[in-house]
Amino acid sequence: MNNTKLMIIGLLVPALLLIPFSIISFYTDFANKNPDPLQVTVSFNGKNYDAVEGKKAFEQYQCMDCHTIVGNGAYFAPDLTRVYKRTGGNGASLAGIIQSGFPSKGMPPMRDRGMGNEDAYRLVAFLKYTDMLDTNGWPNNGSWDRDGGLDGTAAENIRPMGIWQVVAGIVFFNLIIFALVLAYERAKVGNKT
Amino acid sequence: MNGELYLSRAKTRKYFIAAVLLFVLQMILGLLMSIQMVSRNTNLLFPFDIYKALHLNLMILWILLGFIGGLYYLLPGEVGRDIKHPRMIDFQFWFLILSGVGIIISEFFFTGANWWLVEGREYVEAGRFWDILLTIGLLTVVYNVGATVVGRKKEMSSPMIVLAWGAVGSILMYIPGEIWFNSLVAAEYFRWWVVHYWVEATFELIAAGIIALVLLSMTDVKRGIIEKYLAIEVALILLTGIIGQGHHYFWIGTPGFWLFLGGLFSALEPVPLFLMVWSAYKDLKENRKPIPNKVALYMIIGAALGNVLGAGVWGFMHTLPQVNFFTHGTQITASHAHFATPGTYLLLVLGIAYIAVPELAGKFSFSQYRGRIGFWVLVLGFMNMIIALVIAGIIQVYQQRMQGVSFMAVQNMLLPFYGWRTIGGVIALVGGIIVAYDLIVLSRPNTGGFIDETKEVKR
Ligand code: HEC
Ligand code: HEM
Ligand code: HEM
Ligand SMILES: [Fe+2]
Repeated sequence: MNNTKLMIIGLLVPALLLIPFSIISFYTDFANKNPDPLQVTVSFNGKNYDAVEGKKAFEQYQCMDCHTIVGNGAYFAPDLTRVYKRTGGNGASLAGIIQSGFPSKGMPPMRDRGMGNEDAYRLVAFLKYTDMLDTNGWPNNGSWDRDGGLDGTAAENIRPMGIWQVVAGIVFFNLIIFALVLAYERAKVGNKT
Repeated sequence: MNGELYLSRAKTRKYFIAAVLLFVLQMILGLLMSIQMVSRNTNLLFPFDIYKALHLNLMILWILLGFIGGLYYLLPGEVGRDIKHPRMIDFQFWFLILSGVGIIISEFFFTGANWWLVEGREYVEAGRFWDILLTIGLLTVVYNVGATVVGRKKEMSSPMIVLAWGAVGSILMYIPGEIWFNSLVAAEYFRWWVVHYWVEATFELIAAGIIALVLLSMTDVKRGIIEKYLAIEVALILLTGIIGQGHHYFWIGTPGFWLFLGGLFSALEPVPLFLMVWSAYKDLKENRKPIPNKVALYMIIGAALGNVLGAGVWGFMHTLPQVNFFTHGTQITASHAHFATPGTYLLLVLGIAYIAVPELAGKFSFSQYRGRIGFWVLVLGFMNMIIALVIAGIIQVYQQRMQGVSFMAVQNMLLPFYGWRTIGGVIALVGGIIVAYDLIVLSRPNTGGFIDETKEVKR
C-alpha cells in the first residue's frame, strides 16, 4: 500500500469511530448516568448554590493542583470525588474545612485566597455533585477514598530511621546504574580501537 | 542538517536556549514540590498547587518552544525556500515568552482571585485570558508554516510531512480543552484531548518524524526503507492512540464501554513504539557512514528508548482497567509521567537542540564530552526518581486502596521514598544544568567548545 494512504487510513478510521463514541458519552452524561449539575444545589441561610458555580470556583482556587477529582489532578492531597460522603453529607462542616484548610498538612486556608462564605457553599454543591457521579465503581469498595472518614492523621516529618532504611538501597541502585553506564561507554571505546 | 544557508535559521537559536533554560527552571519547581512532600509544614513561600501548575505550564511552554524551533529550523531545507515571514519567528518567540511570564505572575499573585487569569485545571491552568492569547500566537505559527509549505520549491520528504502535521495538530489540540462545560464529565472528557492527544498522538508523530529525519541524514540507509517504517508507525500510532484515549475515560463518569475500548486499544499503543526502536536499531546496525554528532544521536536514541520503556512498558503496566481501577491517581501515575515525558520529549527537544545549536554557531565538530556526561547524569537522576515513585505507588495502592488506610497515614509511610525521589531530582537537576551550560557555550560562535578530533575516532 502507498505510504500516504496508509497514514490517512490510520487517522481517519479511529477519528470517525470516535464521533459516535463521543455522542453516546455525552448523551448518557446528560440523560441518565449523571445528575445535571445545574439541578444539584445546596442551600445555606435560605439561599441556593448550584454545582456549576461550584465547578468554576473549584477551578479558580486551583483545588485540582493538590487534590485529584475523579482521580485526575495532583497526588499531594486526597481525592475529592467522594469527600462529601466522607464528611457524612455535612455541608456546613465541609465549607468550614475548605475555608480554614490544614496549614500543618500543606493546605492553606482558602480564606487567604479571598474565599468568602458564598464560594465555599458553591464548592460544597460541586462536591455533592461529584459524589453523585456514576464512575463505574471507582474508587473501589474498601478503599479509604470511598469508605474512609475525614482524615484525622497528622503529617509527620521524615525521620532519620526512615532515611537510613533506604540509603543503602539508593547507593546500591546507583552503583548498578553507574556500572552499566561505565561498561557501555568502555565497550564503545573498545570497538573503536 | 542540509548544507544550504537560509537566513531565518539563525533566528531559531533562541528557541532552543530558552527551552533548556525553562527546563532547568521547571526542575527547580519540581524540587520545591518534592521538598514540600517530604516536609509538609515547611513554608516554601507559595503553596504546592502553584508550583505544580508552573511545573506543568512551563513544561508545555518549553516543549512547544523546542518543537516550533525545530520545525522552523528543519523546514527551509526540506521545502527548498526560506520561511515565508521570517520576522514572525522573532515576534512569535517573544510573544510566547511574554505569555509565559504572564502565566507565572498570574499564578503567583492571582490564584483564586480571578478565573480569567488562573483557571486551575491540571495542564490548562493558564486562565482564559492566556489561553486566548496563546491560541492566537500558536495559530500564527500554523499560518507561517502553511504559507511556507504552499510556496515550496521541492517536494517535502514524508518525515517532514509527518513532523509538520504533528506540530500543527498539537497546536489545534490546545483548543478543545478550552471549551467551557457545565458538566465535570464533559470538561474532563475534553481536557484529556489536550493531554492525551498531545503525548500519545501529535507529539508522538513529531517524535517519529524527527527520528526518521535524523536517521535519513545521519546514516546511509535507503530512503524507501525508512519511509516505509515511518508510514507503518504513524498509522499504528493513530490507530491505537486515538481510541486509546479511552484509558482516561474509565472512571470519570463516562459509559462503561470505554473500559473495553480503552483497555484494548491502549494496550496496543506500545506496538508502534517498539517498532520505532527496532527500526532505528536495525538502521544504525546496517549503517556504514560515520556519525560525528554523537551527543545528538545519544539524545535521539535515548528518546526512542525512553518512549518504549516509559510510555510502552510503564504505560502498559497501568493501562488495563483491571489494574487502573486501583492505581488511578496514585504515585504509579507520577512514576509513569516522569518516565514517559522526560524520557521521550525532553530527550527529543535536547536532540534537536544538539543538532541545531552547534550548526548555527558554525561548529561542525565540537567536544561532546560535557554533553555526554550531562546525558548520563540526567538518566541517572530520573531512574532514581522513577524507581522511588514506583515503590511508593505500590505501597500506596496496597495500603490506601486495598487496606483502607487513610491518605495522610499512607503519605507518612511514603516519606523515605519521597526523600529518595528528591535525591533523584537533585541529580537530574545537576545533569540539566550541565546540558544547559553546554548548549549555551556551543551557541556562541568561535568561543568555547574546542575542536577535538581525537575524541571522535571514526568506526
Ligand atoms: C496547597 C494544596 C491544597 C490546595 C490548593 C487545596 N487543598 Fe484541600 N487539602 C490539602 C491537604 C494537604 C489536605 C489534608 C489531607 C489529609 O489530611 O488527608 C487537604 C484536605 C482537604 C479536605 C479534607 C479531606 C479529607 O477527606 O479529610 C477537603 C474537603 C479539601 N481539602 C478540599 C479542598 C478544596 C475544595 C480545595 C479548593 C478550594 C482545596 N482543598 C485546595 C491540600 C490542598
Ligand atoms: C528535578 C526534577 C523533577 C522533580 C523533582 C519533579 C517533581 C514533580 C512533582 C513533585 C510532581 C507532582 C506530583 C503530584 O502531583 O503529586 C511532578 C509532576 C509532574 N512532573 Fe515533574 N519533576 C521533575 C522533572 C520533570 C520533568 C523534566 C518533566 C517533563 C519533561 C516532568 C513532568 C511532570 C509531569 C507531566 C507531572 C504531572 C504528573 C501527574 O500529575 O501525573 N517533571 N513532578
Ligand atoms: C510518550 C508517551 C507518553 C507520555 C509522555 C505519557 C504521559 C502521561 C502523563 C503525564 C500522565 C499523567 C496524567 C495526569 O496528570 O493524570 C499519563 C497518564 C497515563 N498514561 Fe501515559 N504517557 C505516554 C504514553 C502512554 C502509553 C503508551 C500508555 C499505555 C500503554 C499510557 C498509559 C497511561 C495511563 C493508563 C494513564 C492514566 C493514569 C491514571 O489513571 O492515573 N501512557 N501519561
Ligand atoms: Fe493517555
